[in-house]
Amino acid sequence: MERNPDAFWNPYLAGVALGLVLLGSFLVMGNGLGASGASLRMGVAAVGAVAPSVVEGAPGLARAWNGGHPFDFWLSFEVLGVLLGGFIGAYTSGRLRLETLSAPGYPRARRLLLALLGGLIMGAAARVSRGCTSGQALSGGALLSVGSWAFMFSVFGGGYAAAWLVRREWR
Amino acid sequence: MTFPFWSLVAEHREAGLVVGVLIGVGFGFVLERAGFGRAQKLAAQFYGTDMTVFKVMFSAIVTAMLGMVLFAGLGLVDFKAVADNAVSSTWLWPMVAGGFALGVGFIVSGYCPGTSLVAAASGKVDGMVAVVGVVAGQVIWTGIEHLPAISRLQNASDLGHLYLWELLHLPPRAGPAIVAVAVTAMAVGCFLGAEKLERIFSRAAPPAAPRPRRLVFTGLAASALVGLGLGLVPVGTSAVAAAPQAIGPEALAERVLDQPWKVRVLDLRAREACAARRVPGAECVPAAELGKLGLADANGTRELVLVGEGTLQALPAAAAAYPGAVRVLEGGFPAWEAFALRAPEPPPAGASPAERERYRLRAGIAAALTGVKAAPPPPMPSGDAAPKKKAGGGGCGG
Repeated sequence: MERNPDAFWNPYLAGVALGLVLLGSFLVMGNGLGASGASLRMGVAAVGAVAPSVVEGAPGLARAWNGGHPFDFWLSFEVLGVLLGGFIGAYTSGRLRLETLSAPGYPRARRLLLALLGGLIMGAAARVSRGCTSGQALSGGALLSVGSWAFMFSVFGGGYAAAWLVRREWR
Repeated sequence: MTFPFWSLVAEHREAGLVVGVLIGVGFGFVLERAGFGRAQKLAAQFYGTDMTVFKVMFSAIVTAMLGMVLFAGLGLVDFKAVADNAVSSTWLWPMVAGGFALGVGFIVSGYCPGTSLVAAASGKVDGMVAVVGVVAGQVIWTGIEHLPAISRLQNASDLGHLYLWELLHLPPRAGPAIVAVAVTAMAVGCFLGAEKLERIFSRAAPPAAPRPRRLVFTGLAASALVGLGLGLVPVGTSAVAAAPQAIGPEALAERVLDQPWKVRVLDLRAREACAARRVPGAECVPAAELGKLGLADANGTRELVLVGEGTLQALPAAAAAYPGAVRVLEGGFPAWEAFALRAPEPPPAGASPAERERYRLRAGIAAALTGVKAAPPPPMPSGDAAPKKKAGGGGCGG
C-alpha cells in the first residue's frame, strides 16, 4: 500500500464506514461506541491503587470503584480496540510518528498545556452530559435521542464560540 | 427479534469482550483514516476551512440510523429497545451545558475524547497529554459531583428516555423511519452547504470528489425511502408481537448488587418455591396474583424483572401494562440457580485483578444464595406507588 501521510479517505465514505461500525455495534452488542466511560473506570482504578482513602471519601468515585474492575467492562475493551485500530491505521498510512501537532511555530510547551487543559475540561463535561462525542453525539444521535441531539449542537456551538480565543494554536 | 445478541452481555460475556475489541479496532481505524488523529484537521472544522469532522460525523450518524431503521422495518431488531440500552436518558440542560463545555475543550485541546485516543496511538504527544487530561478531568469531577450545588445542576431536567419521534408525537413504529428521512434530507442539505462554506473560507478550492459523494448521497436517500416504506407498511405478527426482552443471570446479579433501587424483581413461581430460594430482593408474586400489584399505576422508574420457571415466552398482561422497562430472566430461575449456586473455581495464584474481582463477585452471590447471610444494600426510596408484598425470610428487603 502506498503510504502517504496526507492522504485521507473521502469524508463521506469514511462516515459511511464509521456508521457501519456503529451499526454493527448496535446490532451485535445492543450498545453504542464510547470513549469517556472506560477512562473513568481506569482513572478511578489508578487513584484507588495509590490512594484508596480518596476513592472512599467521594461517593461518585466509590460507585465507579465498586462498579467493577476496568478490565471487566465492555467499553474498556472497546477502547483497547480503538487504540489498536488507531495504531494500525497510523502505521499503514505512514502517520505513526512521535510528534506534537499544532500550527507551525507554536510553542510546544504551550500546546501541550492547552491539550491537557482541554482534556480536563472535556473530562468534566463528559460527566455532566453523560457521554462524549462518541457515546452521546454519535451513538445517541443515530438512535434519535433528544438529549444527544441537543448535546451535539452544543458541542459545535462551544467549539465555534471558543475558536477565536485559541486561533494562534491552529492557524 | 434476531438482534442484538443479548447473550454477549450475559452468559457469553467473554465473547462479548472480544467483540468489543474488534468493534473498537474498526472504530479506531476508520477515525484514523478519516484524519481524526490529526489535531489541525479536527480544529479546522471550527475555522470553516475543512468540514471533515462535520461530514464524517453526520454521514456516520445517518448511516447507522438508516441501518437501524431498515433492520427494525424488517422486524429484525427493536429500535427503541436498543436505544434504551445504548443511550442515556435525556437530562436536557446538563447535556446542553456539558456539550458546550466539551466543544470548548475540543477546540482548546484539538481532540475529542475518542480522537485523542487515536492520536495517542499514532504517536502524537499532544494526544497522549489530552488523554491524561480527559481521565483526570473525569476523576476530579466525579470526585466532587456529590456536592449539593453540582449534583443539583447535573441532575436537573431529567426527561427520561426521550426520542425525536416522541417529541413530534409520531407513532412508535413508523416514527423513527419518518424522522430518519427528515434527518437524511437535512444532512444532505447541510453537506452541500458545508462545501460551499469551505470554498468561501479556504481560497484554494478543495479537490472535489463528486463520484463518492454522489454514490453516498444516492445510497443514503434510497435507504431512507426503503426504511420509510417498511416503517409505514404494516408487517406480519412476527414483528408486532415482540418477544419480551431478556436479561441474563449475570447481568441481573450485577443490577441486584450494584443498583438494587433501580430494579424490582418479581418471582412468578409458586409461593413455596420462591420462599425457599429466590433472587436476592425478589418479591414472591405467583403469576395469578400479578394483577393485585397495580403495576399499570406504578411510576415505572424501576426496571421490572420477571423470574419464571423458565424463560417467559410472553409477558403477562399485568406486567406488560407497567410503564417502565420490563425484562424476563433468561432461562428463568433454573438459570439463576446454575449461575449463582455453582461455586466458582478459585482463581490461580497469578490471576489478574479482573479475574479475582470476578471471582469475588460470583463467590459473594453463591454465598448469599446458598445460605450464608449477606445483607442486601439499603434500598433507596423510589416512591413506587405499588404496595409491596412481604415475602418473609432472610435477606429479602423487597
